[in-house]
Amino acid sequence: MVEKTAQPARLGRGFWVVTAVLAALAIAAIVFCYVFPLERYLPAAIVTARQVDELIRFMSATGSALYIFVAGYLVYFAIAFRAKASDAPDAIGVQIHDNRKLEFWWTVIPLLFVLVLSIVSVRIWYEILLEPENGLVVEAIGHQFYFSFRYPQINGEVTDEMHVPLNVPVTLNLTSADVIHGFWVPAMRLKNDTVPGLVTTIRFTPRLAGRYPIICTQFCGVEHSEMDKQVLVIEDKASFDRWYKGWQQKNAHVSNALPGAAGQAIPLQGGDVAAGKALFSQKCTACHKVAPFNQTLVGPGLEAVLHDPAHPDLVNGKAANPADVASILENGYTGSMGAMPSASSNGLSPQDIANLVAFLNTLK
Amino acid sequence: MAVAALHPGGIAEHIHPEPQGFVRRYVFSLDHKIIGIQYIITAFVFFMLSGLLAEAIRTQLLNPNGGFVAPGTYNEVYSVHGSAMVWLVIIPLLTGGFGNLVFPLQIGARDVAFPWLNMLSFWIFPVAGLMLFSSFLMGAPTAGWMEYPPISLQGAAGTSMWCAAIFLVGVSSTITGINFVVTILKMRAPGMTFTRMPLFVWGQFATAPLLMIATTALAAALAALFIERQFGVPFFDPTKGGSPVMWQHMFWFYSHPAVYIMILPAFGIVSEVLPTFARKPVFGYKLIAFSSMAIALLGFMVWAHHMFTSGLAPFLQLPFMILTYIIGVPTGIKIFSWTATLFGGKIHYSTAMLFAIGFIGLFTIGGITGIFLAAIPFDLHVHGTYFIVAHLHYVLVGGSLMGVFAGMYYWFPKMSGRLLDETLGKIHFWLFFIGFNCTFLPMHWLGMLGMPREVATYDPQFTFWNRFESVSSYLMTFAILIFFVNVLWSIRNGRRSGPNPWGARTLEWQIPSPPHYYNFKHVPTVYGLPYDFSQPLPYKGLEEELTDLPPPVAAGAH
Repeated sequence: MVEKTAQPARLGRGFWVVTAVLAALAIAAIVFCYVFPLERYLPAAIVTARQVDELIRFMSATGSALYIFVAGYLVYFAIAFRAKASDAPDAIGVQIHDNRKLEFWWTVIPLLFVLVLSIVSVRIWYEILLEPENGLVVEAIGHQFYFSFRYPQINGEVTDEMHVPLNVPVTLNLTSADVIHGFWVPAMRLKNDTVPGLVTTIRFTPRLAGRYPIICTQFCGVEHSEMDKQVLVIEDKASFDRWYKGWQQKNAHVSNALPGAAGQAIPLQGGDVAAGKALFSQKCTACHKVAPFNQTLVGPGLEAVLHDPAHPDLVNGKAANPADVASILENGYTGSMGAMPSASSNGLSPQDIANLVAFLNTLK
Repeated sequence: MAVAALHPGGIAEHIHPEPQGFVRRYVFSLDHKIIGIQYIITAFVFFMLSGLLAEAIRTQLLNPNGGFVAPGTYNEVYSVHGSAMVWLVIIPLLTGGFGNLVFPLQIGARDVAFPWLNMLSFWIFPVAGLMLFSSFLMGAPTAGWMEYPPISLQGAAGTSMWCAAIFLVGVSSTITGINFVVTILKMRAPGMTFTRMPLFVWGQFATAPLLMIATTALAAALAALFIERQFGVPFFDPTKGGSPVMWQHMFWFYSHPAVYIMILPAFGIVSEVLPTFARKPVFGYKLIAFSSMAIALLGFMVWAHHMFTSGLAPFLQLPFMILTYIIGVPTGIKIFSWTATLFGGKIHYSTAMLFAIGFIGLFTIGGITGIFLAAIPFDLHVHGTYFIVAHLHYVLVGGSLMGVFAGMYYWFPKMSGRLLDETLGKIHFWLFFIGFNCTFLPMHWLGMLGMPREVATYDPQFTFWNRFESVSSYLMTFAILIFFVNVLWSIRNGRRSGPNPWGARTLEWQIPSPPHYYNFKHVPTVYGLPYDFSQPLPYKGLEEELTDLPPPVAAGAH
């Protein structure tokens, strides 16, 4: 064994100079995070978006300060302790194995930081969860490849833009008619997936008027990347009311005329019970039993669906009538009872719908 | 007792005769070193293929309207890129490849516990890889490497092929996991207690149970998806009573631990390279070793942090956020310990050391953004965006792949008896390091400002940075070409390394390069940790290893 010498390691002046420089850099990074918040580049359109930005500021400030110290010491040690030409070829470093005190502190301080971060993030998360519950209800339904929107007072679906009034709390129920989509408005700092068969809710209060893109963030098929053309419009109450009335008038005919898939009216009087029965066992029994309404499989039981006076509110609080049931078969359903696919995704023709309604009418 | 005195290793002293035919030696070999090299070569072939797919992705994104390939093809390209990089490149390289090659040598074993199973698990792997790439012939999967139903139920026939291929890779992983656990528990040389094991062995010891346990959840999910696609049994289709969210639970119950399968062995590689080239012991050996086990254990309890937008009840999400934060603590301990290892060293800058230091710098970025993503309010903003793409590439390329390169430059002499060229290696490192950061760093901002992932076209406001990233990614590819040239040139013309070119102290460097078929003439006895450079080597029984003396023929050899 060759005699090897190792100098003792000391924290020399270089170390403290580097520490001072890194501290200055870290403070600069923290200042930078607060002077250039995300809000400067991406509007914060809802109340909680500003709180999310606060969390982003806190995390990016502490994260970049931490990184500056780790990377700074890494680079400093890597340069300061390189083997020099003057060193013997078999020179060795200082044989330090560990340092209990140091290891204790760099375990405890991160744990404390985890505690602080948990408190900060849980608080901001609760701000998002605790947005008012009794807001304007909007349903957004994901389709390949667009979102449609429903408003409780408007018959039919709104398929171009989602409008909400300024400063009025909104309850947005999300579901999907086909595959999973992601409903993301970057200006809201908020998203949720639209999952078929599941209704999820996000609540928010708009604070900044404008037009903000709605973007799909879960891969949903070949045109997924084109699913970013719709917008969320936040506008004052008067403009919102005008838009809302316009849609109500445009859709006033929907519940009466029942246009079929290819624009044909559904021949409700010409339904064939036997054909409807065959179709029912083929298409419907996966989710519906012929049993009292409360016996749910996926959807409710359908016994006496058209004859039970005590029937729960099916559409807008009214008892079910053949036109309503046909409308559900035609357009699908999304709401408190779950989600049901529309006629086009179930492969039902207008005549099929008429046959099914005729069959359901015989269940007493 | 007399026998035990003659052979302190007992039954482990037994030497099987070396097979002579080419096929038994190099094709259907039972030798862990050959199998490790087979894994490495196969995985690098798949790495080239899926690297080409990555360049197809970046070329598409040169323009906001795409146009390089059709959107449908683009979706196939990135889905196979992700699947192949995870299951055919990083996992096989780090477990089957470096695991097989190195850790049995490091614990003083003659082979792994089940050599035949080892051969089996290797040969499943190229078959599965070819199956995955063959899915292009019948319409490859398009829904990303996660293949969430119901969209994956609509995918072309290749999606079923994908299920079968990944299932097979999973079988291979599970077998490897069992093999490694038993080998480490049962086949350490006398005196190699747990707290004397090299840190690379600890890395494998933390990884192997993950391979063994987590992969079974993925296998169940894949089998269900395959059965639903082929036979219509509704596991996941909500219109027939299935649950699409169940797939996400099963998939992430595997795929989060899989992140640690892909990083813990790389931690091990870095923990070997740093002390060797800093000429000093790794700082805080025990904490590094135990934090690997803590990460492996916690890694099973955080999977739903990938599902904060999937509609889980809020009270279910909370523990996943907090536990994910807590994983940052053992990970931080490692980063601090590696940094402290450099302090007071005599650092020699080989390419392996550059990659190891680069690993610390880049992995730390991926680790910090990982903590950001665990914060539910932040995740609700950036989930499914390019921020995720940036984060995962900092972990898997800046982390795992940099670790792989460090391991390649470090252990190439042990595989081949020759050194990789250091000049080409340093060019490789710097071009790769710069190209990587320029490709993936801007993605953090693109994601936060509104660019979703898995898109064939994008908002024109992001054009500049996407072009910048694409051009930088070509630089990365060029750096990797230099690496391949280096390997192909050095394998014939590289400088001969001798047994221990780095002056390293773990057991694999005390025997010839490449080692004999039987690894050790005599199984050594271990007296301490390998890392103290001021002490003599803590091994006995290695005197004959570098001599021409033949190995003793143990009683009962056949």
